[in-house]
Amino acid sequence: MTEQSRTVIEQDSVPLLEVEGLVKRFPIRRGLFGSGSVHAVEGVDLQIHAGEVLSLVGESGSGKSTLGMCVTGMSTPTAGRIRFAGEDVALASRRGRADFRRRVQPVFQDPRSSLDPRWPIETTIREPLDAYRVGSSAERTARVAELMDLVGLPRHFAPRQPRELSGGQQQRVAIAAALALRPELLVADEPVSALDVSVQAQILNLLDELRNRLKLALLFIAHDLSVVEHLSDRVAVMYLGRIVETGPVERIFSAPEHPYTRALIDAIPHADPGRKMSRIRLTGEIPSPVNPPSGCRFHPRCPVAVDRCSTEEPQDTQFDEGHSAACHVAAAALAQRGSIISVLSEGATS
Amino acid sequence: MTAHPVAEVGKAARAPRRRLRTRLGGREGLAGWTIVFILIAVAILAPILAPHSPEAIDGNRILAAPTATHPFGSDDLGRDVLSRVLYAYRVSLGIAVGSVLLAMAVGLPIGVFAGYVGGWTDLILMRLIDLLLSFPALLLAISLIAILGPGSLVALLAIAIIYVPIMARVVRSSVLVVRGQAYVRGARARGASHLSIVRGHVLPNAIGPALVQASVLMAFAIVIEAALSFLGLGSQPPTPELGLMLADGNNYLTQAPWVEIFPGLGIAISVLAFNLIGDGLRRSFDPNGITR
Repeated sequence: MTEQSRTVIEQDSVPLLEVEGLVKRFPIRRGLFGSGSVHAVEGVDLQIHAGEVLSLVGESGSGKSTLGMCVTGMSTPTAGRIRFAGEDVALASRRGRADFRRRVQPVFQDPRSSLDPRWPIETTIREPLDAYRVGSSAERTARVAELMDLVGLPRHFAPRQPRELSGGQQQRVAIAAALALRPELLVADEPVSALDVSVQAQILNLLDELRNRLKLALLFIAHDLSVVEHLSDRVAVMYLGRIVETGPVERIFSAPEHPYTRALIDAIPHADPGRKMSRIRLTGEIPSPVNPPSGCRFHPRCPVAVDRCSTEEPQDTQFDEGHSAACHVAAAALAQRGSIISVLSEGATS
Repeated sequence: MTAHPVAEVGKAARAPRRRLRTRLGGREGLAGWTIVFILIAVAILAPILAPHSPEAIDGNRILAAPTATHPFGSDDLGRDVLSRVLYAYRVSLGIAVGSVLLAMAVGLPIGVFAGYVGGWTDLILMRLIDLLLSFPALLLAISLIAILGPGSLVALLAIAIIYVPIMARVVRSSVLVVRGQAYVRGARARGASHLSIVRGHVLPNAIGPALVQASVLMAFAIVIEAALSFLGLGSQPPTPELGLMLADGNNYLTQAPWVEIFPGLGIAISVLAFNLIGDGLRRSFDPNGITR
């Protein structure tokens, strides 16, 4: 995507999807009387414009899937607002909600479990058409054939059972079913994580092709930055229920501000042995979302953390047009020198 | 051109006969079904197949040993054991199939509803089911018979009541598994109604364990019914019934073992058949064929 076309997207006034202060907590029971909650998503703001691909990246347990569930209406947020094309989804009428469901479609991680093992794939692709009573029966059949062409499935696969297909083909079926109702936004929750590396690229290419052809917006959830670079317009990095950095894909990859983003980028394997090793390595596990750390949630694992990080929660700092991060160290560096990148990498190596 | 290729292609490539066999439970299941069908045919054709009337008393043949005309011998009233066994399948199979069908008709909706809706509905329904489950089965049957009086139909009803909670629980647990599958959440997101999800996704994927359970319960029903009759609480004499015949033969086990052995074998064969079907189905309902 060129610099120019992105500007056009950002000027688009009403975002297709707007998430504001989204909170999702899951109550848990400890013993007989104890209770607590898992803070899966803690105040997330997010915008996706029509035709835009936003990648949501983070480790397992960062709340990215929960966010995806809320966005597709499969889970009800504890607090916060989700607006689709300017309308609050929670306040929508029954019909409004059905409409929202039609326009936002999920694609799941594991195609083996997202396809009914007893249904021939043509029936699976047809299901949403039948549910919304789109056109006549013959039109639906024709649409199924069209969808299979669209996702690159040979038509003679139509009567096959999911188990007769490979993982990549199964995922194509799932995508075809998600596209049946001509949605405007696809929420793909790690759509390639369960697939072989060789097949991953095919599915990523398919998604890229589809968004170009159908002007489809995509919320692409991944735990691995390497798969998002090619596909996305913007990237949002999530850590323990918060978005710690968001920005255009080139900025995120060339000049990440948040040490967590930097660590994720450094974790991408490269085939160049001579490459300079200035790595931030993540150690340990993501902390429990039941008792998130004080201050900046990343500070126990952060290589550049200062005292302030453990007490005070960092606010979003704007670094560039559409690029912001929540980090004390990066913000201080920006304030002091205006130069950003050097400080961080020094901090990392020292 | 675009309208049909999807529907047409690929039908030829299948081996439908083989698929049917797998669906019925493979080799084991097929053996079970064969026996059951033979037994059903025997029950229906009993008047033609039976060499004698099941109730004809022959004073000369009291406890007589098997002969060419009476291959299973005669009982204490000189009735032909073979004829009585053939007729007895009418009652036994009728009760086995009837009680399980009745239990399914009641238990399946309860289980599906509780499992799919979940929450408080599930909790309340399942506690009620537990209540029913907490009575010892035979006690429940006997108290029902005490109220309604003995008879084949009452025995059927009693067995059905014993089976309802078992059926409901099995169905509920498999519905719970299916409900959590991504394809159910996906179907919901794609706009499918709850009714069509239950019909299209939940029932077909959750019914397997229930059918396996059903075939095993049919086997047990034959045994329970025989036990009730043995105790004098099921079918009443002179109805030819396997349990009753066992009770009869019990008295002459040392002098005339055939009076006991042949009805016993009759029970064993039918129980075996239903169990074979159950085992076969269990295997074929595993869609990935891991156990094969």
